[in-house]
Amino acid sequence: MLEATNALGNAVLSTGGTLTDPSAAAALAVGLAALGAGYAERGIGSAAVGAMAEDDDLFVNGLILTVLPETIVILALVVVFIV
Amino acid sequence: MSAAGSSNPEFVVARVRARRGQLYGDEEYRKLVRMTPAEIARFMEESGYEAEINALGSRHGGVDLIEYALNANLAKQFEGILDWSEGALYDLIARYLRKFDAWNVKTVIRGVYTDASQEAIESDLIRAGEFDDRRIRRLLEADSIDAVVEVLEDTIYGDTLREAYAEYEETDVLVPLENAVDRAFYERLLGNLPGGEPTRQYEAFLKAEVDFRNATNALRLARSGAEIDPAEYFIEGGELFTRDTLARLARNVDELVEYIAESGYADELGPALRELEEADSLIAFEHATDTALLAYGDRLGTIHPVSVTPVISYILAKEREVENIRAIARGKEAGLSADEIESELVIT
Repeated sequence: MLEATNALGNAVLSTGGTLTDPSAAAALAVGLAALGAGYAERGIGSAAVGAMAEDDDLFVNGLILTVLPETIVILALVVVFIV
Repeated sequence: MSAAGSSNPEFVVARVRARRGQLYGDEEYRKLVRMTPAEIARFMEESGYEAEINALGSRHGGVDLIEYALNANLAKQFEGILDWSEGALYDLIARYLRKFDAWNVKTVIRGVYTDASQEAIESDLIRAGEFDDRRIRRLLEADSIDAVVEVLEDTIYGDTLREAYAEYEETDVLVPLENAVDRAFYERLLGNLPGGEPTRQYEAFLKAEVDFRNATNALRLARSGAEIDPAEYFIEGGELFTRDTLARLARNVDELVEYIAESGYADELGPALRELEEADSLIAFEHATDTALLAYGDRLGTIHPVSVTPVISYILAKEREVENIRAIARGKEAGLSADEIESELVIT
């Protein structure tokens, strides 16, 4: 996954030289934030499913904790409106 | 359930932590010590052991029921852990759980040697290791030690057992075979451990266990004064002893005690060693090693929360619980008082 991020960065740098278009930069920022959120949710999600398998009552807690990293993407979305 | 692919510590650790919360605590042990075996079985039925007590209740009774239910539950829990874990995590956990395979192999060999019935052997097995049901069935069906060795040909015990079998045929004693199984287990336990800081801690724990095992064996030999070569019982991989130092020290109890007292384990084992010198009793020493290992295991699980260490910590705590309940039930059967039984328990 992290390798993919590198490849993405390289591709951007090699085509445009430097990133000068603000909208493109904002899009990239949101995309990278989403990538980070997905990576964080991977670990939390599997732990939450494990806890739920032992005790069904933990479903709500597990769900809330799993989607918490999603806030990163929402905060990153603010960038789109600023530029 | 394989050693390929990436590992999933998050999932396994979450499940194991939930299970750890269900283990008996001080309060439950205090109650258990004051119960009769039948009441203990009832108490277990109402907590985590319900399925096992119900399944075995019609065939066994009293302390036997408790014992078999404990073994069955232990096996189920550890099989589960192996089922869930993947990749490097599976490899690390399987290393430790293979000791139940070693136990099963030794039980079968002893059973065949003493002509015990298949059912009698089967009820003493703990199916917590890596062997699947098919291999266990084939082991049980083996009617001679030669056949047992043949069933294990393609496992890690194959080569060493084959060599030991020749020795067994000459002398007709089981010691070489049992030593061969132990040696194969310990070789795999500490060989080729992958890198990483959590793994280093796991390794340190395993080494402490090997050291304690060596120390206990040496103390027993030294006190019994038997003319047995201590080097034959030496287990490789520990840090405290080498084959030569153990062979030299096992001839003299005082020197051995002094050697352990000056080692890195002095803090944990110091009080027990003093007691050993005064009261001349090995029980306190064995308890001290057990408690030290358990305390080490508890600490182990907190430093790297998402790694193999909390899983190992749970495995140790579960094993300890099973041993404690067994001690309570057996103690009750023998008519010991509550205080005497309590002194036998290992609780942190």
